[in-house]
Formats: sequence, structure tokens, C-alpha cells
Amino acid sequence: MPSGAAETIAALPFAPTAAVLEAAIALLARTDDGGAIDSTIRREAFAAFEALPVPGARPGRGWKHDYAKLSYDDLRWTNGRVTMPAAPRRPAAARPDREVDQPALATDNAGGLYHIGATFVDAPSDADPRVTVKPFDAATARAFAAELAGVHGTLVDWRADKFAALATAFQNCGAFVRIPAGVVLDAPIQLVFATAPDAEAVFPHIVVIVEAGARATILERHVGEGDPFVCGIVEAHVADDAQLDYVAIQQTGEAARAFVSRSAYCGRNATMSWHLAELGGTLARTVLNARLANPGARSETAALFFNTGMQHVDLTTGTDHVVGPTTSDTVVRSAATDRGQGRYVGNIVIRPKAHGSDASLRDDALLLSKRAHIDSVPALEIAANDVKAFHGATVGSLDEDALFYVGSRGIPRPEALRLIALGFFEPVIARFPSEALRDEIRTALDAKIDDATEFVS
Amino acid sequence: MSTRGLITRDLRVAVQGNEILKGIDLTIEPGRVHALMGPNGSGKSTLAFTMAGHPGYEVQSGSVTLDGEELLSLPPDKRAKAGLFLSFQYPAAIPGVSVANFLRTARMAVRPEDLNPTKFRKLVFEKLDTLDMDAAFLGRYVNDGFSGGEKKRLEMLQMALLAPKYAVLDETDSGLDVDALQAVGKSVNALRESEEGQDMGFLVITHYPRILKHVPADVVHIMIDGRIVKTGGPELADQIERDGYDGVRDEVAAARA
Repeated sequence: MPSGAAETIAALPFAPTAAVLEAAIALLARTDDGGAIDSTIRREAFAAFEALPVPGARPGRGWKHDYAKLSYDDLRWTNGRVTMPAAPRRPAAARPDREVDQPALATDNAGGLYHIGATFVDAPSDADPRVTVKPFDAATARAFAAELAGVHGTLVDWRADKFAALATAFQNCGAFVRIPAGVVLDAPIQLVFATAPDAEAVFPHIVVIVEAGARATILERHVGEGDPFVCGIVEAHVADDAQLDYVAIQQTGEAARAFVSRSAYCGRNATMSWHLAELGGTLARTVLNARLANPGARSETAALFFNTGMQHVDLTTGTDHVVGPTTSDTVVRSAATDRGQGRYVGNIVIRPKAHGSDASLRDDALLLSKRAHIDSVPALEIAANDVKAFHGATVGSLDEDALFYVGSRGIPRPEALRLIALGFFEPVIARFPSEALRDEIRTALDAKIDDATEFVS
Repeated sequence: MSTRGLITRDLRVAVQGNEILKGIDLTIEPGRVHALMGPNGSGKSTLAFTMAGHPGYEVQSGSVTLDGEELLSLPPDKRAKAGLFLSFQYPAAIPGVSVANFLRTARMAVRPEDLNPTKFRKLVFEKLDTLDMDAAFLGRYVNDGFSGGEKKRLEMLQMALLAPKYAVLDETDSGLDVDALQAVGKSVNALRESEEGQDMGFLVITHYPRILKHVPADVVHIMIDGRIVKTGGPELADQIERDGYDGVRDEVAAARA
């Protein structure tokens, strides 16, 4: 390691304890600028983390299938080390021990940040100069304090979410992205978190501000082998007439845990589109929220997961129609095989002032083995009159008539299963914002079918 | 002795323990069109599904051979590779799978040896033309939201592209308007006139004789209650049109008495 790096990257063994938090805070105090989150907030957030229950564990409710079925109980909290890096970061060229070599990063980008573990290592050289993309550290927090107010620490309420609280207590990386008013980007902004060679806990905070009339696509990727613990927050403010396509692709190694809470605020006539593919890791928890706080706001949510082996995914979407008329459209496709377990909770709230709103939620789950299990819990809460609300949910297995039909065309049963199962995901894949992304997801799902041990029923 | 043909011998088939086919002997020769007619519930579709290998049909005895190869021990895909095609009465929808992708996958599975992508594309467009089908069809999901006529056209398109040795058309005429029926007839006849289709044998299963106006049969069989009760020439279809199935039923009863 080149001299100088050691002073800016401080590491300690990670465990979610007050002692480790204090050690982390002490490390941050030794660096130049003390981190993006004030130590008082970190301590408050940690207290909230300790007080809050594991999400979905609702004692007394008597739910037959509770989150307890997911592998939270087995969570190994101590996972390698946690770093508290501080600016200035060193470019990738100076860090031969850590390389970003994912082919997925080679696309044209309007900007971006690449991380190895929690350490920012590189940014694309051809970034669009109109756009602000900064590592989320103390300097950024100071420089953009006005923009961050009312967004960071607000859209995702860590006081009510155990893992958001943990992410806040230990925040050690992230990004601040601002698209100025009226700027329309053709290429995406990529925020990449690649696995460090040794196990590392990564606590990213991503704050996105899309100013009035601007349009952008942001691509958040979690990639690589190894078994990191990722626990993060994403907060997006989409101003009046602005549009944000936010894509999150989680393809971490098979022992990884990835918990990310994402939430967006929509201005007047703003459109927020969440696109989510949970493909990797052993336990993933994702929250996708949209707050439609102004007339004409719209949210679109398209999410998929495919659990093979021992993978567990816990997905929650929440759409809050605060006023009317606002519209939302949510489509979720999930599948599980082997001992894969999944849970989808889809909440739609239409508040008393949200007259004329239109909400649609469609959720289909496909079970491909006897021991696979997916729970689907759609919930609509409607307090306004004169609204349209639709929800439909199915959990099923592959249609034998369709399998026979495909087989009768000369396609062997394993290939017929593959064809039909991949087709099942298309309604969600089709909503991803580029053909390159759609193909990437199709290829990844195809590879997961190869890896599944119990695919052929 | 030649074994060419799609041949069933003493085929007995049960569904959930009830015997539906009670000993079927049929020989569909290459290049010939056989019609299988009968009232609803006589077992026509059971024969079609049994030939194609649907797992819900229990073969109790007998054989089905295609040019000498026993089909009954083969899974559905191997039967297709042997040269059998079933045009479904109710084709299944496969959401998320485009017609183009499905056609390419099926053709590659059945005949992996030939056809580069350019030639395949050309072939698809030729066949679309014969069937009066729009190219936009190719981008839609297989049978997903298709009308009855569109489904049957897609069956015919698949048959034309897979060019099997023997095709079983199960009630392909049901629910079709005259235009669609004509398109089906045109497709079958074009295939029979083509080089790769001239030796194709057809088993046209139908309740009504009207499809036989568009696809003339060489031989007509009447099936009642799981048995072939009468076999004759095209005139037998005319008789059914005139008298319905009761005439044949009475004839059979009289012969048994």
C-alpha cells in the first residue's frame, strides 16, 4: 500500500455494539473532517437500532408466516472489519491491490463513483460537468448542507427502521448526486459498491436531488464475490416536473447480506421510477418507498427477485398518496427454488386528501421447488373517496399445460421450464430503462437457473 | 412389411381410471390426409393428447409408432423430434416469451442441423404471408391475449416452420370464422405442395365436416365412444353432414345386433 493511505483508512473489527460504535467515532475524530454524520446522531441512531425490533417480527399478531421464517435469526453480526475512510480518497491507479474490473462498469456514464468495500476508489473520467456526484463525507455534508436539509435523514426515517438506524450509526461511505434544474441526462450515473477482498461492513448513504424539470437515471450496483455486510440508505428528492429512474441491482456474493432502505419524495408532476433486481446474497432486505406529496406526482415500482439455494429476500414497497390526483403502478415478480425463501409486503396508502388518485399493485410469485416459500402481503389503506385502486396477487407453480405445450414443440423439459420461468419475469424486466440492463438481468436470471439445484421439477 | 406411417395398434387409454379409448387401430400414411370425426366426448382429443405424450393420459395397452419408432416411451419433446406435430385445440399461453423467440427455440430443438438466422427469418416471413399474418405477431407473447383465430394461425405457423412428418390437427376449425378457416386450409395445402411437406401425413380431428372443404380428406374415420366404428372415403363426411352422427350410430347398432 502506498504511504499515506494508512492514515486515511482506519479499520476495526465490526460488531453492532456501543463499544465498536465509540471506537468508530474515535477513528473518525482522528481523521481530517470527522465523517458525514455527527457523532450525536450516530449515538441516537444506534440507540434506536437497539430498541427497534427486527422488521416484520410482530409479537402478538400471530402471523402464521412471519419474518422469523427469514434468516434474520441466523444473522452473523460480526463480519470482518469496518473502515471509516475519510477524504481525500486515492484513485484506483494508486491502489493496485484493489481493482474495479466489473465489465458492467464499462458502459457510458454521465458520472459515478466506484467503491471497493466502503472505500471510494474511482470515478469515470468523462463525467457530465453539469452534474454533481460526490462521495458522501463530511466535506460534502458541509458544502451541500442546504440541499441536504429536509432530504438526508428525513426521507428514510431511521427512527422507525432498525436497519436504517444501523446504517445511520455506522455510515462510512455513499454519494451525493445533484442534477440541476432542466438538465436531461442520456447516460446513467453509476454508483458501484464492489466487494473488498476481505469481509467488510459497508454502510452507504446515497442522497439524490433531481431539480425541477431535470431527468436522470441512476444505477446503484452491489457486485462481487465475498461476503460483505451492506446496510444502507437511499434518499431521493424528485422536484416538480422532474423524473428519476433509479435502478438497483444487487448481485453480491452468495454469503453476502444486503439491507437497503430507499425512499423518494415526488414534487408536482414529478415521476419516480424504482427498478429493483435482487439477484445475489444470502439475505437481502429492501424497502422501496415513494411519497406522492404533490398533485400530478407519479411513482412506478418494478421489482424482481429469484431465490435459489438458501437465499432469502425480504422486500417491502410503500406508496403514499398524500394528495390527489397522484398515480402509482407497482409490479413485482418473485420466484424461489431449492430452499429459497421470500417475503413481499406491498403497502399502498391513499390519504384523505388524495381524491382522484389511481393506484395499482400487481404481485406474482412462482414456486419452483417443494421447499421454496414466498409470502405475499399486499395491503391497501384507502381514506379518500373517488379513487381507483387495484391490487392482485398470485402465488403458484409452473403451469403443466404450458410445459406440455412447449414440450410438444420439441423443447426438452428443462429448457421448457427455463423458457417459461424467464418469461415470468418479463413484465418487470421490460420496465428497466435500457436494453443493456434488460439483457443483463435476463442473463443473470438465466445463470441463476443454471446454479439452482432443484430447478427441474 | 413397411412400417412407414403414424400407426396406432390396439390403443387403450384411460383418464383417471376411466377407459376412454377402447382399442384404436389407425394408419396415417405419408402424404395422405385422414379425417377423424365424431361427436363430442367420443375420445378424439384423448387420441391426440396420447399421441403427443400428455402425462395425464394413462396408456393401458397398445402402441403408437411413427415410421417404425415407438412413441409411447418417449417424452413429448422426443416425439416432436421424431416428426410428430400436434396442433392444439386450446394452445397454452406463455407470457413473457415472444413468438419470435419461441419459434426459433422450437425450430432449433426439432431441427438443430440447418438454417442460419437470415434464412430462418426469410422462412418465417414467407409463412406469415401464407397465413395472412402481420409481422407484429412475432413480438407478441405466445398465445397471450390472442383471439381464437390468432391462436390457430400461430399453430399453423409453427407447423409450417417445424415441417413435421405427421401432423395431428385437433379441432383446428373450432371457433374459427371463414377467413381464418381459409387461412388454415391455405397453410396446410401450401405445406403439402412444398418440397419438405409433400410426404406429410395429416390426421384432421373435427366435429364438423366444414374444415374438410378446405383440407380435403383421402380417408374418413368415424369415432364413437372410444372406437373407430366406420372408415370410408370423403363421401362419409358428406353423409355426416347430411344425417349427423345418429345415422352412423344406428348403422353400428344394427350391425352388432
